[in-house]
Amino acid sequence: MSANVPAVRLAGVSKSFGQVNVLHEIDLTVEPGEFFTLLGPSGCGKTTLLRLIAGLTQPSTGEIVIEGSTAAAARRAKHFGWVPQSPALLPWRTVAANVQLLTQVNRGSRVAHAADSSDIGGWLERVGLTGFEQALPHQLSGGMQQRVALVRAFALGAPILLMDEPFAALDEITRFEMRHLLMDLWQSTGAAVVFVTHSLAEAAYLSDRVGVLSTRPGRIAAVHDIALPRPRLPALEDTPEFFATVTSLRGSLHAAMSPAAS
Amino acid sequence: MRLRSILAPIVGVAAFLGLWELIVRVFDIPGYQLRPPSQVLRYLINDSTGFPKATLQTGADALQALLLALAIGLAFGWLMSASQWFEQAAQPVLILIQVTPWVAYSASVVLWIGGGARPVLFVATLVCVPAFSFAAVAGLRSADPASLELLRSVDASPWETMWRVRLPSALPGLFTAARFAVGLALAAAFFTEGGALSNRGLGGIGAKAIAAQATLPLWSTVFCSGLLGATALFVISLLERALLGWHASQRRTPR
Repeated sequence: MSANVPAVRLAGVSKSFGQVNVLHEIDLTVEPGEFFTLLGPSGCGKTTLLRLIAGLTQPSTGEIVIEGSTAAAARRAKHFGWVPQSPALLPWRTVAANVQLLTQVNRGSRVAHAADSSDIGGWLERVGLTGFEQALPHQLSGGMQQRVALVRAFALGAPILLMDEPFAALDEITRFEMRHLLMDLWQSTGAAVVFVTHSLAEAAYLSDRVGVLSTRPGRIAAVHDIALPRPRLPALEDTPEFFATVTSLRGSLHAAMSPAAS
Repeated sequence: MRLRSILAPIVGVAAFLGLWELIVRVFDIPGYQLRPPSQVLRYLINDSTGFPKATLQTGADALQALLLALAIGLAFGWLMSASQWFEQAAQPVLILIQVTPWVAYSASVVLWIGGGARPVLFVATLVCVPAFSFAAVAGLRSADPASLELLRSVDASPWETMWRVRLPSALPGLFTAARFAVGLALAAAFFTEGGALSNRGLGGIGAKAIAAQATLPLWSTVFCSGLLGATALFVISLLERALLGWHASQRRTPR
């Protein structure tokens, strides 16, 4: 794959369910290694957009190109690390077995997969879950479960990570820790991320670029370049630059939500 | 805690048998009407008519039927969860099998396929298929949609999705169905053994005892079948504890 091929490219993608127009004429390019966030209010089609990228649902019109090929090919090659809204851990599998789930799937097939990371212990150590390898999901707190879900995606070694509001169900304090943890994990990989959220702080702290979605039908109303320096550390959230970024995102979000914007 | 969990059931059963014994003795009920449990147990211990062999026979008949019904139920459940057409066609048939009293057609099955093991296996399997089928279809469908989508994101085959997510999701329901089916399978096996007139199992002994109005051997078959059923449920709860440790039903919450 040439370095110039975008990880994700959407051209004129629209999606409607029956009469309801959910997404309208989305153009979007995510470069390899880029952290791209889709920011928008609930019901604006963010999750649908993420499912379109993964090929879990098909667009009504428009074109979706993943690494110069199709979403189906990317799924077969295990090039998507999917992090759903709920941790979606299998309750009968231990923490270690849940982390290995995605690498175990289709192991017999001949398609070359992304580097399967067998270093489960190392991943769990990085997210502070050492000693919980043999625990069952119900023995973990919500934040711990979501950390397992993150590690499950990272352990796949996929070049594209798709995250659907992974911290939305967590309390504010845990959410704060989780975005710092995610940043720490991601900065050591070269993966492109498409991150869906309605949290301004998450968008500002994590992203290279933020696409602000408007509601009904979802359109990309604005794209912000986040110029904050990397590596990003928790202390960044106390700086005036961070506040300024959040403020400008908020303004853009409000503009996208007001009826006048359409 | 552990001692109580062993002791309490023993006390319960002993109290039940004791009350039965007491009623027979206090009201002086004659033996051709009702036997006290002590007489039945003594008869069982001393008799050499072959109760252990018959009990094993009936147990094997019922076990085969249960396993066969489980396999058929899983296949039906899978087809029903995959195709609405098949589900709507199969549902009335399964409901008919479930509600039609098997005692009504057991004799007809013997007339149709003859005596011996085959009618026993047929009837006992048939009566258990609906419970397993309905449990399977509900369980396979109850798999967490987010987990199913997660597997789709790495292009998991239908077979892997079935094995890794859907089947484990169906286990709790299948165990509940198994508890229910044990009684059904035993009853159908016992009754059809008796109807097959082939000296087969406890049902064979029971049928002869009824014809001879011999209450002691008749009550002995009842005790042996009860023992079979209790053993089956014990094994099922051991399996549940081993396979469903993750499920909320198996967790002991402190009270």
